[in-house]
Amino acid sequence: MKKSPDNTTHFGFKTVEEDKKVELVADVFHSVAAKYDIMNDVLSLGIHRIWKRFTIDCSGVRKGQKVLDLAGGTGDLTAKFSRIVGEEGQVVLADINDSMLKVGRSKLRDKGIEGNVSYVQANAEELPFPDNHFDLITIAFGLRNVTDKDKALASIYRVLKPGGRLLVLEFSTPLYSPVKKFYDFYSFNILPKLGKLIANDSESYQYLAESIRMHPDQETLKEMMNQVGFDNTEYFNLSAGIVALHRGYKY
Amino acid sequence: MSLTNLLCGLLETGVNQLHQLDSSAVIKRKQLNGTIIGVSLKELDIPLYFVISDQQIDVLNKFEGQTDCTIRVSFSALKQLQDNHQLTNLIKSGELEVEGDIQLVQQFANLLTDMKIDWEEHLSQKVGDVVAHKFCYHTKQLFKGAVTQSKAIEKQAALYITEEAKLAPSGLEVAYFCDQVNTLETETDKLLLKLDEKLNQQS
Ligand SMILES: C[S@@+](CC[C@H](N)C(=O)[O-])C[C@H]1O[C@@H](n2cnc3c(N)ncnc32)[C@H](O)[C@@H]1O
Repeated sequence: MKKSPDNTTHFGFKTVEEDKKVELVADVFHSVAAKYDIMNDVLSLGIHRIWKRFTIDCSGVRKGQKVLDLAGGTGDLTAKFSRIVGEEGQVVLADINDSMLKVGRSKLRDKGIEGNVSYVQANAEELPFPDNHFDLITIAFGLRNVTDKDKALASIYRVLKPGGRLLVLEFSTPLYSPVKKFYDFYSFNILPKLGKLIANDSESYQYLAESIRMHPDQETLKEMMNQVGFDNTEYFNLSAGIVALHRGYKY
Repeated sequence: MSLTNLLCGLLETGVNQLHQLDSSAVIKRKQLNGTIIGVSLKELDIPLYFVISDQQIDVLNKFEGQTDCTIRVSFSALKQLQDNHQLTNLIKSGELEVEGDIQLVQQFANLLTDMKIDWEEHLSQKVGDVVAHKFCYHTKQLFKGAVTQSKAIEKQAALYITEEAKLAPSGLEVAYFCDQVNTLETETDKLLLKLDEKLNQQS
């Protein structure tokens, strides 16, 4: 996203200083971490599971590969990847927020997932991994929260192996205006109320709705991926464009 | 696209829920840990990939890597996959095609179809022994009753359709109609012969 000249960025609809955004986003996810999974199911009516399944289908992941689940949060994708890549494979769950990492780690441990998963606290903009390291990188519902998206995409490109792919699953711009209207109503009127009811935290969910609106649309994100070097970039609209999956390759 | 995703999801949840109740499932999964098996039904042609691990079974509908075993099987042959002796027959008759380790087929079929679930036992943990026993007993009775009932209904319906509503002819009516058609046929043949004769005379 374009940087404003005076070093400010968006936090939802508010404009804030760049260093501040990281902190504010952190606050949001510290406060939702514990109820994150339940909220996901309730707010998306369970549909996020189908979006994630589609993501796995498009990943081409195989036994023995190295996968980075960036902004991985509570590790839904990590769990599946861990079972597919098997014992010789490796999955790294990276998140900037240690509350989310902790919830993720204990959830995966409880499921019996151990051995091939490691947990790393990291900022997507400055990934602490060597060049050409991963076969696959996914970032699901995470890019939206990143302050400097171009920097994050470039950093992802660097640590991806040639032949590897990036999958970005993120809220996007609905294709049809009736869907849009319903969706706007849902996210600004119902979502924060549900957030208040279940997690006693309407502000975080207000932020969620606003950050979705500020996120680049399908074509813009595709262009941003091309800009940092990705090839064969394409996207799939899911649920009428409420969510889009972008896929790009590094050759 | 998302419909098949939904189906895979439901299938996966269903199988894993059942496995939770089946005490033998863990050991069976352990034996197959790390195995990926591709399955397609001849009738449907949607491939499914079963990723088997200690923890659970994951069902995918796309997989670009190498499977340990890929099978194409017709729906009717599914149940027979468990039986080692049947496998060669099924392959010969073309109802089953296997690529990869054939040993895995039987183990896999076992894992999916041969679940040992003691419903009464699981229920008793929730509601107590007596209720569980009664419930299971009545369910069985109910099921038996339902089977007899449905047979009776079938008979009744057949009677109604043929006799009452006259939607379909009864056996006798059909036979009578066939006779009439036969007579008509012979009559027509005779008529044609006569016609031929007449025409020949004239020319
Ligand atoms: C909505 S959650 C998504 C979690 C998970 N991927 C999922 O789909 O359920 C977004 C996550 O992004 C993380 N995040 C936000 N900014 C980040 C950054 N700059 N680098 C890495 N992770 C970040 C948050 O801590 C949060 O856990």
